[in-house]
Amino acid sequence: MSEVIALRPLRVLFVDDEARITRALRALFRDFEAHVTNDPADAPRIASERDIDVVVCDQRMPGITGVDCLREIRQLAPRAMRILLTGFSDLKAVLGSVNEGEVFRFVSKPWDNRELREIVTTAGRIARETPALAADVLSASEHEQARDQVGVLVIDDDTTTQQRLREFLQPHYHVRFAGNAERALQILEQHETGVVICATELGHGDAGANSDLTGMVKVLKHYHPCIVTIVVTDRANSQTAIDLINEGQVYRMLLKPIRMGPTRLSVDSAIARYWQLKRAPSAVRRFSVMPRADNVVSLASVSDTILARIRQLPSRIAHIARLG
Amino acid sequence: MALSPSLLLMTLCVVFGAAAAWFLCEPRARRLQNDLADVEADLKAQQASQSHIIHTTKLASLGQMVAGVAHEINTPLGFVKSNVEVVADLLAEHEVQLGRLMSGIDLLHNADAVSLARAREALIRARNTLATQPLLGDARDLLGDASEGLKSIAHLVANLKSFARVDRDGMDLVDLNESVRSALAVAAHLLRDRVRVNTDFGQLPRVRCMPSQLNQVFLNLITNAAQAMPGESGTLSIASRATADAVEITVADTGGGIPDSVLPKIFDPFFTTKPVGEGTGIGLSIVHKIVKSHGGSIHVRTAIGQGTTFTVSLPAELRALAAPLREKAA
Repeated sequence: MSEVIALRPLRVLFVDDEARITRALRALFRDFEAHVTNDPADAPRIASERDIDVVVCDQRMPGITGVDCLREIRQLAPRAMRILLTGFSDLKAVLGSVNEGEVFRFVSKPWDNRELREIVTTAGRIARETPALAADVLSASEHEQARDQVGVLVIDDDTTTQQRLREFLQPHYHVRFAGNAERALQILEQHETGVVICATELGHGDAGANSDLTGMVKVLKHYHPCIVTIVVTDRANSQTAIDLINEGQVYRMLLKPIRMGPTRLSVDSAIARYWQLKRAPSAVRRFSVMPRADNVVSLASVSDTILARIRQLPSRIAHIARLG
Repeated sequence: MALSPSLLLMTLCVVFGAAAAWFLCEPRARRLQNDLADVEADLKAQQASQSHIIHTTKLASLGQMVAGVAHEINTPLGFVKSNVEVVADLLAEHEVQLGRLMSGIDLLHNADAVSLARAREALIRARNTLATQPLLGDARDLLGDASEGLKSIAHLVANLKSFARVDRDGMDLVDLNESVRSALAVAAHLLRDRVRVNTDFGQLPRVRCMPSQLNQVFLNLITNAAQAMPGESGTLSIASRATADAVEITVADTGGGIPDSVLPKIFDPFFTTKPVGEGTGIGLSIVHKIVKSHGGSIHVRTAIGQGTTFTVSLPAELRALAAPLREKAA
């Protein structure tokens, strides 16, 4: 049965208001079962009716943004993997694609044919082979159990943010704080941590030099894809955000100053996501990062000792240990 | 006539007194002169820093605009690049099929009675594959799109060039409709898919002006209008008409309107209602400055909840009226 599924060509849906883009993509994916639409309003219906594996969607379209379109597709056709393809990488679009669209990859126009085919093929295989998770909501009793077992780690030396997070989260979760990478690793080694809330860089505390944390986020995702990451940042840079999606598969990105409502919501659903992955570990592939050449560079930006310690972190999920 | 001694004395006294007075006042005057020089220097420095800010802001808006147009280029560039590569693949596939057809023909040509049937079969198979896969037709369509895409890119670059007026600086006789069109093209990324644009261009006499500056005026007004309509239901209306001695351009939005408390300050440099980091408050003051320096005027009409209309009025030059006629006659 699974072989039959694998033999059927991957079903891809391309959504772009520009017909010449969809024609180009159809030609590029001529060996796939390619569906196209120039009307984004039709996309969610087509995705669910045709049981689409991968949706590739433009961001700027008349009447609706790609992020909104992908959010609807996520509800109507949760099995489909979502990719945003856009010439406009404004920060609002990038943040929306993480927080609302939960995209697998963010690809810029003009795209590279080989790379796009690779991304779509990988996404399609994952869609075929791994089950989609239900929405990140748990029953009350499950949620209690999850909160009891699973820790939340905050890596940030910005005292204002630390204080706020303590205020928002301490009453509800096991929250631990780390002001540097060393302390963060200790906590990860000692406690089951399901959610990491992480700044993009340290350097608020001492006069010490700023140190970038995005490399660590990416490496952590690479070796421990079950751990769900939420990035908090005051540096609004769309390229950093795009890299965090493509190489770090961050779950949510929050802008400082963080607010109570969105933070609580994000952490609640992040805990639920971790809990679901723990029960259905194969689904983690849906949130995996590819071992790409760029990734090796980001691996290199993390010191060898940190890299080694991250690799050796105890895996709390049996199945994942075998994958690694 | 001889001067009486008393008159002489008096005259001497007056001259001496004046000299003494001059002599006594000299340090004060010098101080005043120094003060004046200081004030002048201050003023110059202030003007320089203001013109520096205006210049920097102009560069920043130019940068924003270039980024916008670059993004606009990414869409056609995306499919042109992809199509060219895919066409190369299609041609390679076609070559393979042609090769099969050729060897089929060779086989048939050299066939004897025994191999004839097999050779015919191979030839027919190659022919049918070629017939069912319209590789060349697909390639032609993709190249057609690519060619259209290159035209769009050329068009975008031409707009940018005509907006920036890199080739011509200084005064020129200009059709302001062209100026508005180029500003609209450059601002397209702010409006596209979001704001409806209505234009109603009247026949205009040409205006003697600095086209690069007036392009900036219209871009700033359009940008302002676009920012006044953050949602997706706004309409931007631009109209032009000629009056007896002037040319009038109106730029109207359907945004929230300008409150009374803000209205008197909108042309002040550095006044902004936007959050810190988003607006410099210099856009409309530049507009005001440029329009004034062209001997024109700018008016604003606004209604809360309905929108705002800016009307720029510039003196039409009589000589300019004759110019197009001469061109027609020629």
